[in-house]
Amino acid sequence: MNDEAGGKQRRARFQALCQSLRPDLLRFAFWLSRDRALAEDVVQESMLRAWKAQDSLLDEAAAKPWLLTIIRREYARTFERKRFSTVDVDELIAKEEPLLAAAEEQDMSDVRVALMKLPDEYREPLVLQVLMGYSTAEIARELELSGPAVLTRLCRARRQLREACGEDTSQDPQE
Amino acid sequence: MMEHAHYRAAILADPHNTDAELRAHCEACAECCAFTKQLLKFESRLERALRVDIPPRAEVLPFERKRGNAAAPRRWMAIAASVLLGAAIVAGVWLTLPQSSLAAAVVAHMAGEPEAWRRTDIAVPQPELEAVLKDSKLRLKSDAGTVSYASSCTFRGHRVPHLVVQTASGPVTVMVLVHESVRQVTRFDDQGYRGTIVPVPGHGSIAVLMRDPGIDAAELERIAARVDDSIVWTR
Repeated sequence: MNDEAGGKQRRARFQALCQSLRPDLLRFAFWLSRDRALAEDVVQESMLRAWKAQDSLLDEAAAKPWLLTIIRREYARTFERKRFSTVDVDELIAKEEPLLAAAEEQDMSDVRVALMKLPDEYREPLVLQVLMGYSTAEIARELELSGPAVLTRLCRARRQLREACGEDTSQDPQE
Repeated sequence: MMEHAHYRAAILADPHNTDAELRAHCEACAECCAFTKQLLKFESRLERALRVDIPPRAEVLPFERKRGNAAAPRRWMAIAASVLLGAAIVAGVWLTLPQSSLAAAVVAHMAGEPEAWRRTDIAVPQPELEAVLKDSKLRLKSDAGTVSYASSCTFRGHRVPHLVVQTASGPVTVMVLVHESVRQVTRFDDQGYRGTIVPVPGHGSIAVLMRDPGIDAAELERIAARVDDSIVWTR
């Protein structure tokens, strides 16, 4: 009886955890794939994997990075399975136009379109830092990069984004 | 003195970097200070741009969602039968579960944002804070205390301000839940978090919680009352 109650409590806690993290996980998957439907599939698959592997999560405080890692791996698997050859960014932007334009302000749409066009190697560390609150060391660990390489990518990501949005970058440091 | 290029490269990589040497340079160099302000302004846009709207289906986990949208059939065809079977089994289990309480959802939300608990005296830039509060139609009085963390989070299908206010008792997390009405004060003590959810007539409720196991409920309610007092509703 106690086992049953404990199991229910554990499931309820896992459910609550997934519900609370779901929006950020979907956002992360969206910016990873730039495709909302694909992002939903990836998160769905990842939740299933997480559910099956929940015993490996020893500390609930670490749930977010744990799930993010699962999502990144699942996305990579999806990519391998579907054998995408090239990604047409303009096509992706047209497809996701309602989502990109949903912002209250026009300048937000500009940033979103610029983010869509940002190369993967710059977009992913930026999303991990800004959206998910990762430190440089955590990004380096997740992406298997050195700390300086992460900083360089973050620096280039912001420079390219600001340029694309018409910001003044004349005071930026030269590389 | 640190070189301007070194400072700007570091701040471009992380505009919220609180390194003492960087701060000292910023205070001593007007040009780099202006550069930082411009960058922080853009950063605020970037943060909001990344928070794309998520369909309000907070009570439905991804593997429980209903089929029927345009993209779903094509995609589901591509998923292996074993995964479908697994999804059906798991969804069946989950659908029989009782809905988690509001307090449990608040605590679970905390687990996803550990970076919010830093004890610091660095306040979130005012434009950033205003952007977070704008969705919930409120602002904070100037005597509210140092807000060291502000994020517009999706919680049970709605955007809510998630703030950390530095108080004499330590960092206190505040979630303004305008869409969650409660009839009475609810206290909770779960996973190392002690908190209270207090009703705010006409504006839902406010959840206040701390990670200090020594804090007593009465003190938490006093903090909640102070937070409530410092809110100015703009609608």
